[in-house]
Amino acid sequence: MLEILIVGAVSSAIYAMLAVGFTLIFGVARILNLAHGSFYALGAYGAYFLTSQLKLPLLPASLLAIAAVALFGVGVERVLIRPMRHSQLAVLMITLAAALVIEQALFLGFGSEYRNVPAFIEAKYHIGGVDVAGARLLALGVGTLVIAALWTFIQRTRLGSAILAISQDPQAAQYMGIPSDRIFSLVMAISAALAATAGILAGPFLSVQPTMWLLPIVKAFAIVVVGGLGSIPGSILAALMLGYAETLVGYLISTSWTEIVSVLATLLMLVVRPAGIFGRRAAF
Amino acid sequence: MALRSGQRIDAAGAAGFVALMAALPLAFDSKYLIGILTVSVIYGIWAVTWDFMSGLTGRENFGHSLFIGVGAYTAGFLNTVYGANAWWSLPAAMVVAVLFALLMGFPTLRLKGPYFALAMLSGAVIMQRLMLIFWEHTGGEEGINGIAPLIRSQLGFYYFALGCLAAVTALLLALARSHWGLILRAIRGDEATCQAAGINVTFYKIASLAISAAFAGAGGALYAHYQLQVSPQLFAVVTSILIITMVYVGGMATIYGPVGGAILLVLLTELLRNFGEWRLMVYSCTLILILFFLPGGLVAPTWRRLRAAFGASS
Repeated sequence: MLEILIVGAVSSAIYAMLAVGFTLIFGVARILNLAHGSFYALGAYGAYFLTSQLKLPLLPASLLAIAAVALFGVGVERVLIRPMRHSQLAVLMITLAAALVIEQALFLGFGSEYRNVPAFIEAKYHIGGVDVAGARLLALGVGTLVIAALWTFIQRTRLGSAILAISQDPQAAQYMGIPSDRIFSLVMAISAALAATAGILAGPFLSVQPTMWLLPIVKAFAIVVVGGLGSIPGSILAALMLGYAETLVGYLISTSWTEIVSVLATLLMLVVRPAGIFGRRAAF
Repeated sequence: MALRSGQRIDAAGAAGFVALMAALPLAFDSKYLIGILTVSVIYGIWAVTWDFMSGLTGRENFGHSLFIGVGAYTAGFLNTVYGANAWWSLPAAMVVAVLFALLMGFPTLRLKGPYFALAMLSGAVIMQRLMLIFWEHTGGEEGINGIAPLIRSQLGFYYFALGCLAAVTALLLALARSHWGLILRAIRGDEATCQAAGINVTFYKIASLAISAAFAGAGGALYAHYQLQVSPQLFAVVTSILIITMVYVGGMATIYGPVGGAILLVLLTELLRNFGEWRLMVYSCTLILILFFLPGGLVAPTWRRLRAAFGASS
């Protein structure tokens, strides 16, 4: 029982980090970024490369990797996405193509073997009769902290209100003198950094290989559909639901069925309530 | 009269193209070439079916491989597990693919926006996982082996596949140029206005997805009976992206363009064989370049220029 509680919380935290970034850039810039999963993969590979090839200690390597991925995200937005923003489908196409280019680049650079990302904490902890790896607890802790920090940033700072304003009414926000293009870059950086952080934290207990971008994007999409596209509280709640639902299915039926949960949730939610739990617009 | 001459040039072009494709294996008697041509023709079927739904309505399908894989596995199961005659595969694959189209299309196509694109992507990813999860029944990574060939002679099978491609393309072209196609294009342009004009937008979107899925599934069955083996790799997102790239190279919403795009890309890929690992990289970079610099594609605009040179005014 306690095990389900902890394992579910850990996967929820990873999912929440992924989905919040995915929904943030959608809510603000109306960009559905299929390369979001690639930022997650790049984070994990960045940490792997910097620690094992350049022999950096893990903490600076991780920070460096996150910063690099954030910068890369801004570059992708500037160069590839911005000229395509007139059409949502063109954005989907270009980001999907970018995701594939990144997958192939990782494949050519590192091969298709699984790579090991070192964990910050190697120890196992004994909580109430359950053994939990330190890396998982750290993922839970850091994930919660990062999302809380992001939430306060958006709610309490001036820059945060600018982000909120654009997500509510981009035109009016621009008339008020908010530089929307600069805000898009900033949000893209935050979103990419969140995904990279999730990749680094999940790296020690998940498989790090070139196609690792795919399932996270499927799950982020499921979470965002259930929570409501563009809604951060919705994503967090839906991430908790999916994290626990998958863990429960894993324990009660079989781990092989967990992958089905997300797609089933997506399809059911689209039939029952397309706007999601906290979505404002009905199917925009 | 001008329109007639245009149609005559189109008909001549199509006939010339089919004749060329039919003559190639006769001119160069090589099993290798026939194999490549067969694959290119099957990709042509997939590309043209993708274009019929996604090109015309503008609802991009990122999981076309779902229908292909489902069709291929249906063929594989029927043939190896139930021992059915190979010719049952084609209709059965079409029926199963249509069922999947309804299952995926009903929740997603009622809605506006990109739900459909992403839901199809998820659907294909999950089906690929399912094939690995239920490895006792599906053969896991290995897939299903020992599928009987549809036609024993390699050349005969190639001509059958080419005939299928020609028939599917002709049918979809006729549909695209009919009232039906006009409505699909109108949906692409402005869905709300179509709805206001009393058009049942959802019906047209789901029905065109079902048509697209049916022939894609049949193409999957053809592929299964050509490779004599199916693997979960058929469901891979890469398959869908290859098809989308072919359509973009051919020219979106032109129906005949994607056929040319598919054949062109498959043949070019054979030339790139030496690049091996770089092949997919080349594909994805091509896609990005086309999106940026040739949004109208390559094949269809070339054909339009050719027919203008022959004196067709429209």
